[in-house]
Parts: sequence; structure tokens; C-alpha cells
Amino acid sequence: MPPKYHINTSRAANRFQLITKSGVMAWEEGCLKCARCVKKDCVYKVYEKRGLDTRQMLESLDSVCMDCFRCVQGCPNKLIQKGLNPAYKELGDHYWTPEIISGLWYQAEAGRIPVSGGGYGGAFSGPGFDAMWTDMSEIVRPTRDGIHGREYISTTVDIGRKVMALEFDQAGALSIDPPPVVEIPQPILFDLLPWSPPRKGINLAMLEGARSLGTFAIVRQSEFGPAMEEYLPNIALYVDGKLSDISPEILRKLRLIEIPYGKDAIAAQKKLKEEHPGLVTIIRMELAPDSSSNVFRLITEGAGAIHLVADEYGLEKSDKPLFIKERMREIHLHLVDKGVRDQITLIAGGGIAMAEHVAKLIICGADMLSVDIPLLVAMECRVCRRCKDGISCPVELETIDHLWGASRIRNLMAGWHNQLLEILGAMGIREVRRLRGEMGRAMFFEKLEKDIFSTLGKRG
Amino acid sequence: MDQKGLGITRAILFCRQLDPDQDVNRRAIEKELGSQIRFFPLPCSGRVDPLYLMRALESGADKVYLITCPEGACRHREGNLRAKKRIAYTQGLIEEIGLDRERLELIITSAGDRKTIDELTRDILAREGVTSSVNPNDADIEK
Repeated sequence: MPPKYHINTSRAANRFQLITKSGVMAWEEGCLKCARCVKKDCVYKVYEKRGLDTRQMLESLDSVCMDCFRCVQGCPNKLIQKGLNPAYKELGDHYWTPEIISGLWYQAEAGRIPVSGGGYGGAFSGPGFDAMWTDMSEIVRPTRDGIHGREYISTTVDIGRKVMALEFDQAGALSIDPPPVVEIPQPILFDLLPWSPPRKGINLAMLEGARSLGTFAIVRQSEFGPAMEEYLPNIALYVDGKLSDISPEILRKLRLIEIPYGKDAIAAQKKLKEEHPGLVTIIRMELAPDSSSNVFRLITEGAGAIHLVADEYGLEKSDKPLFIKERMREIHLHLVDKGVRDQITLIAGGGIAMAEHVAKLIICGADMLSVDIPLLVAMECRVCRRCKDGISCPVELETIDHLWGASRIRNLMAGWHNQLLEILGAMGIREVRRLRGEMGRAMFFEKLEKDIFSTLGKRG
Repeated sequence: MDQKGLGITRAILFCRQLDPDQDVNRRAIEKELGSQIRFFPLPCSGRVDPLYLMRALESGADKVYLITCPEGACRHREGNLRAKKRIAYTQGLIEEIGLDRERLELIITSAGDRKTIDELTRDILAREGVTSSVNPNDADIEK
């Protein structure tokens, strides 16, 4: 299969014991010394493989146990118990929940989609992305047509300004100069990390991961160093200093550059275009209530790609912040009304935590997304944010081998890619570009609630 | 099994039921003392095994503390009682190999006055004369 349709994975083992949902509590005192102990009968050999990670005082017992409860039921003196692990409940926060984090760990380790089994036991609606349901009306298609081989589903997207019509001169030659476009096989960029321990190895892992996936990692100009030069074709350099400080040699090798939004942004883009016509410029702006009018203005001034960034909880910058999916819908529909939507690439980022968020945000109008925290979680981050407070990282992220980190990132992206294929297949869509802004393919809880219940209690 | 030395001087193993906000509460002291202190929250102090204590010493800890919830307050009924026995057993073992038994210490908290893990640690450190305690009254820590 061509590489742009499939991502090869290989298992990348955890460096630290996982924090599991439940734990085994096995008392030794009171043991009856049975001739055949239930621990010996464990089909997964959990007790035989028992080890202790002294870096965290965590036993391997919990991460190897498959919750069959055979030992719990079998011990005649009831000395073995299983209980919920309080450490699991404390992972992350209200948004980056333990379920999300452990799901990301699983995908990064195995490169496969997590399957919980036993059906879905949770609520059918919630805040943020959980208030949105995608259309699965063609659910038989993945089975019928095959989405992982017999038929290809394209997840390729383009970054850059699009021309709406070609123009030819009298001689039949193209009379316009089409702007450069960068094509990537997945609608995902690797974004700047909101926090992390010293990130030399982390940055290299992200770059290596980006290179192997054919996508880009955004790197701050201030953090760029000679060790990253070999990755220049996969770097989107974020200009956090002076544009003039970047050497022409580096600019020649770059394909993407990101500049902060401000009054000089368009001028900087023009300057870059004159000096390096092949370079695609992205303008990075914080998501805010006035984003739609600002994006429209930038398009009229000639912007080609805009990166809208929310905070790590997917909220825009405002006193009464709107969630990223609502604001992206508004921006997308505003641009459609103005008739300019197809001219530009919109990249949305912030609060992207799961594979389903990719499809949902694209439905809400983004062409592609940027991810940040999930890449750290792929490398075993626990979202404890200790590094933000200057405390040492419990999983020593600053010491990772970048090749290991890259394979974990690659595995995670493969899991997300497969889930995107499943969603597209279930919708009967053959390429992700067609999913953009397909709001008719989704139901929004708030809208449904309003449509159904707002008329109740009204007379006439 | 990782046996690499951590360069720590104090290892504090504690039952996380003691302080529901232990993760936040211990950050200030962790930042202050850096690698000189390591906290190991346990789901129950009864989870501790002589191996844990020996490994903590082996990893470079000068002193290992095990802090349990008050007697009678264990959510697994008798976890803290079992922890007490295991500490005593391990103290015997390390004494046999020529180490000071005081390098392992059990601290059973008092039911009357619940303290955060941060306060408990500062009490211990004040006793050792390492840093000034935010709450110097350590009378309710039973040895």
C-alpha cells in the first residue's frame, strides 16, 4: 500500500510502569500455605513476572494483570483483593481525563485503536466535543468495502493559498502564478508544547516523528539549533524573534514558516514571498471572539494559511470563552458567507486530545489540526504539569531517546489515522478534504435541545 | 526491575488516603528540596512490602519513612497494622546486615488532627533539623 495511505507501526514498550485503573492488594499474613497457591495458577503469570520499579515504587503486578479475578475468587482465605487505584483517578485534570491519558498511552505503545469491550457505559452528551455526534449512517461501508486495503481513503490535505480559477493568455499559457502549496498525508501538524521539561530530546523526537509521517513540527526560532538542521524539510519555523535573524540558507531549506499575528504579519508574508517564493507562510493567531472578522481581513490582504490556537482546554482567549468547535464553526460559516472559504487553509489547535476530535473539528470547519499535549502523553507524560512548576518530571521526559519518542508518536498517529479512516468510512466519505465543514454530517446537542425543547410551554 | 541509584536522601512512602490533595500539597517541598526527597504515594500502606523498603534503601535513601493513616481508619481494614509488622520485620533484617534500624521509620498519624502531607513532611524535617517547620507542633505524630 502506498505510504500516504498507511502508517506502519511497531511496538514501543513503556519505560515506566503504567498507572492502571485498578490494583492488586495481596496480603501475605494469614496465608494458609495451600499446596497449590492460586498465584501459581495465574494464566498470565502475573505473580511470576512480578517486579518493582524503584523509581516510582510501582509493581509490575498491576500493569500485567488482565482483571480476570481468578486469584481474587480462588484464594481460600480471601487474602487477594482488587481495588480502584487512587493514583489513576488523580491523573490529568477535568479535561485531560485518566481515560483519555491511558487511551493515548495504549495507542502510543501498541499503535492500535483501544477497544474497551463491554459496550459504552458513559453519558451520551457532555461539554466540548462530547456535545457533538458524528453521522455514522454508512456504518456498513467499512465492513463492506474495506477501508484498510481494498479501497483507499485519502487523508491528504494542502497548506497554502488556493486559486479559485486558472487564467490563460491569448497563447494558451497560464497567465497567473499559482501560490505554493504544501501537501501532507495527514491533517495533523505538531504544535509548540505549552509546557514540558527541558525539551532537547522531546523536540528531536517530535521532528523525527514528523519526518517519518511526512508532516511538520512547529519549532520556535529561539529553540532551533544545529542538531535540527537535518529536519528542516519537516520544520515549520515559528518566528519568535526577528525575521532578519534567520539565515537565508535556512529559509531556502524550509517549506513552512509561521509568523505571529500582528500588524506586520502581512508585510512579513510579502517579504518572505518575494525572497523565497516557494515558502508557505502560516499566520498564527490566538483564538478570540473577533477571530472571524480578523481571519476575513487577513484573507482579503492575501494570507494563505492561518493557525488559530486555543488554550490547552480548547478555550479561546476571552472573559467568557467559547469552546474551539463553536468558534471554528462561526469562522467557517462567516467565510462561506463571504465566499472566500476555499481560498485559505485554516489550522485549528488547542484541546485536541483524542482521534475523534480530529474529525469533529474538521467537520466544524478546520482544514487541519495542530496537536501538542497528546505528543507528550505519547512519551508517557502524565499531564501532572510538575515541569511547569520547575519540579522534576516523574517519568524523566528530559532523558528520552528521541528514536523511541518518535516511534511512540508514530504509533499514536497511526492509531488516530485508523480512527479517522473508520469515521470517514462510516460516513461514506473517501477523502478528508470533503469532510471539512460538513456540519450536516453531525448533530450538535445544544442545537437539538433548542430545536426540540424551546417551543415547549409556548402557546399558539 | 530498575535498580538504578536515585541519589535521594529521604524516601517518604505514605498512604494517599491521608491527604486527598497530596499531589498538589507536596509540590512546594519537592521544589524546595529537589532530589533530596522522594515521595511515593501508596494506595494503602498495607501495600508496602519489605522489598519496597529494602529497595528504597538500596536506591540511595539515607532514611525511609512510612506514614500510615491512624489505627482503625484503614480503608482496607488492617492495611496499616500489616505495614507496622512489615516495618518491624524489615528493621530486623537491616539490623542483621549491620545497618541502623532507625533508617526505617514508621509514622502513624493521629486521628485527632489531620495534617497534609506537606505539613507531616515539614514536621519530620524539623525534627531532623533540616528546615524550619511551618507547623512545629509535632506532638501528634506518634513514632
